[in-house]
Amino acid sequence: MAGINLVKGQKIDLTKGNAGLTNVVVGLGWDPAEPARGFFGVKKQANVDCDASAILLSEGGKLLNKTNLVCFHNKQNPNNSVVHSGDNLTGDGDGDDEQIKVNLKAVPADVHRVLVVVNIYDAVNRKQDFGMIKSAYIRIINGAGGSELVRFNLTDNYTGFTALICGELYRHGDEWKFAAIGEGAHAAHINQLAERYI
Amino acid sequence: MAINLSKGQKIDLTKTNPGLSKIKVGLGWDTNKYDGGKDFDLDVSVFLTNANGKVDKETNFIFFNNKQNENGSVVHAGDNRTGEGDGDDEVIDIDLKSIPADVEKVAFTITIYEAEQRSQNFGQVSRSYVRIVNEESNVELIRFDLGEDFSVETGVVVGELYRNAGEWKFSAIGSGYKDGLAGLTRDYGLQ
Repeated sequence: MAGINLVKGQKIDLTKGNAGLTNVVVGLGWDPAEPARGFFGVKKQANVDCDASAILLSEGGKLLNKTNLVCFHNKQNPNNSVVHSGDNLTGDGDGDDEQIKVNLKAVPADVHRVLVVVNIYDAVNRKQDFGMIKSAYIRIINGAGGSELVRFNLTDNYTGFTALICGELYRHGDEWKFAAIGEGAHAAHINQLAERYI
Repeated sequence: MAINLSKGQKIDLTKTNPGLSKIKVGLGWDTNKYDGGKDFDLDVSVFLTNANGKVDKETNFIFFNNKQNENGSVVHAGDNRTGEGDGDDEVIDIDLKSIPADVEKVAFTITIYEAEQRSQNFGQVSRSYVRIVNEESNVELIRFDLGEDFSVETGVVVGELYRNAGEWKFSAIGSGYKDGLAGLTRDYGLQ
């Protein structure tokens, strides 16, 4: 079955329509935009290093514990229900650039939202922003079987933003849902983005 | 204590509250908690319709540019541009006994101002509700929380007051519209 394509703001049930769904993989992908062509041909650009992270929030939208920020330097939460599969330094190539695995049934009860964000590593020093990235998407894959359940292509113009709040898995009653957010944000570092939720 | 309605429910208002005439209809919402860089401006509009659900004249369409009907029985208390803070974001004051006889329904809607240009929709709006308060006693009579039903819609018909055998009732509608205020005004026969 083909995944459902979401548009910005849309919310969708994950577990309700997929009884037994426990393990999901959140895949994030992006490509470097074509570099601007100068008078002497292609201008050399530094790699844009995008990093995906999951910020695990309480019902009230708070990051209760630093270990609930799952990113390249803290690859899992304390009970291993949310695991970052590793850093990709360039975004080149097809398919997911980074993945976050979530065991929905094992997510601690005090975590109500798994906010998935991408930020540009060292964006300020390298003078980079999301205008240099294209074809960004977030998708949810069934961890058992690998079929794509949901996909959200981020099509807005994010020029000037150094972070991208892609979407969130969240509890709704006893079920999990996914919301396509697609909002740009400003953050020099992932910790700075996480600080908003403290 | 207020009665919490669910979508599709209808409830008597004046029959169980004899003497009730002046009510406040409060609508509230929270918008995008993420850094979108653009403000959300939600607007409440009220359509006073005939028995066929159509608005007969423009003065029966109450919104930020026409804040009351001709006899002042339905009054929009003013625009709120951000949706910030607790409590009602916009309020409509209604005197049920003075509503002109040719008005059978009073429909409450919320739309997103410039939704398309700002790429905003009701999926980014949370905790929206409508409540009806007895203006004299300040007691909340009815409340309807809209829940999670909306995503890409840019307008919502929240609910409507309607006449039923000499009494006023309230119906919790909660249906979404895709083309915002333009779509709503068209459906209510204004264009």
